[in-house]
Amino acid sequence: AGVLAAHKITASSPDTDLPTVSGLRKMGVNFTVSNKDTVKSSDVLFLAVKPPIIPFILEEVGPDIEPRHIVVSCAAGVTISSIEKKLSTFCPTPKVIRCMTNTPVIVREGATVYATGTHADVEDGKLLEQLMASVGFCTEVEEDLIDAVTGLSGSGPAYAFTALDALADGGVKMGLPRRLAVRLGAQALLGAAKMLLESEQHPGQLKDNVCSPGGATIHALHFLESGGFRSLLINAVEASCIRTRELQHLADQEEISPAAIKKTLLDKVKLESPSLSVASASKVSLFTSKSKKN
Amino acid sequence: GVALGAWHRVAMEESELWVGFVGAGRMAGGLVRGLLQAGKVPASNVLASAPSDKNLDAWRELGCRTTHCNLEVVYRSTLVFLATKPHILPGVLEEIRPAVGSQHIVVSLVAGVTIQTLQRLLPPGTKVLRIMPNLPCVVQAGAMVFSRGSNAGDEEAALLKSLLSSCGLCEEVPESYIDIHTGLSGSGVAYVYLFAEALAEGAVKMGMPGALASRIAAQTLLGAAKMLLETGEHPAKLRGDVCTPGGTTIYALHQLEKGALRATVMDAVEAATNRACDMAKD
Repeated sequence: AGVLAAHKITASSPDTDLPTVSGLRKMGVNFTVSNKDTVKSSDVLFLAVKPPIIPFILEEVGPDIEPRHIVVSCAAGVTISSIEKKLSTFCPTPKVIRCMTNTPVIVREGATVYATGTHADVEDGKLLEQLMASVGFCTEVEEDLIDAVTGLSGSGPAYAFTALDALADGGVKMGLPRRLAVRLGAQALLGAAKMLLESEQHPGQLKDNVCSPGGATIHALHFLESGGFRSLLINAVEASCIRTRELQHLADQEEISPAAIKKTLLDKVKLESPSLSVASASKVSLFTSKSKKN
Repeated sequence: GVALGAWHRVAMEESELWVGFVGAGRMAGGLVRGLLQAGKVPASNVLASAPSDKNLDAWRELGCRTTHCNLEVVYRSTLVFLATKPHILPGVLEEIRPAVGSQHIVVSLVAGVTIQTLQRLLPPGTKVLRIMPNLPCVVQAGAMVFSRGSNAGDEEAALLKSLLSSCGLCEEVPESYIDIHTGLSGSGVAYVYLFAEALAEGAVKMGMPGALASRIAAQTLLGAAKMLLETGEHPAKLRGDVCTPGGTTIYALHQLEKGALRATVMDAVEAATNRACDMAKD
């Protein structure tokens, strides 16, 4: 998006074999294996590790956190208060912002929300918003809504991919080649979403506009309704939101000794399947950044 | 549109209009109540026929005149409503056919009998219209659609619309919409009664007395319908307006969606419409 120069971004990961690491290097991002180095050379620090690892990362980098740092956590289910609590042993007034985004930031059509912690100023929030708005939609919310956001737009792309796969199947069943079916399905959803975002009209009205009396579309919609399409989507958002809360609850309860942590951390990184490692590392590549204050 | 001249003639004709009803059942009764309430036609200008006095008593109480002779209704009326049961109509048409002339406007309320059939059984050139009302015409909150036959013109359509708007919503449509109207609104009234009953039952389950629950259920439906009609907003928008985030309404709506209520209602309208089509073919 051209918001930050690559050389101002530093990313760190214990595992340097990951494909995302070389991808980052090619972009011109500074890479290091030391999380501490990342902290020292950054003003805005994105924590983009898996949620169970957050407490250990905080332990590790805590001593290096200074008042200027804005700590942004993207970890699902990790509360601002839990991060502030961890950091307060090192820094009296840590600036913490919690954010929830989604994968389409990759194509700059992300959906991001953030909630500011006790010591984060309005300008800190605005800075994050500026950064994240360059990769999609970004707005501030109350922290207690973040689980709902996870259920809707966090998991949302997965619902869309599932729908697109099925729509393509429908196209193939009716005679379309697969590639064309996928392309058309994706474009249909993209176009519909764009229409909705640019229109003042209610989606129900936009739907009506497509349904000519006795026509093809209304017949198809009847099938969707019969299958409880709407309730399935409501169920999905609800389930994802509830699970997020569950995971957060579980995380709050877990206690592991620091010595065991370091070992399991490395073990986890090595043992995880390649796709999973790529996922966590890709978060590192996207989010660990450094910006010089004006 | 309707020519200005036609409207002028309509205004003149209404007060001089002699209105007849062949068949005096509930639907006919609803229409006449609407007409009389709105002062469209004086009761003394109305003549209704029926085989027995059972229904006719109520008509006389309204000030209408009654008879057991269908032919008399046709001789003494300009606007003749046919309101018999479907299986009786062919016989009635054969009976009154000799008395039907070019001055008559024949309007059929009979379910499932097409304009084609009516025109076949009446003298050639007869002005025929077909109307499908619904029960709330009885309380002047009906929904009616009508279509015109080959010889009915703008004047007749304007007259009918003007008269029947006193009973509720009245719109001219292509004849193919009439069966759909049956599925939507003719039978639709029953769907609403079912829904109202279920709403009240839910309330009773939660501890409210039945009579109160029923009244509130009815008022809720009335109020919601009124808002729909008066705001002109899309129902989805109005629905959204009621749903506060995480509130009671959205929880309830989720239950309705789980039960695929929308699809079930669509199925109902479809079933009634198809049945109307099938019955018309018989």
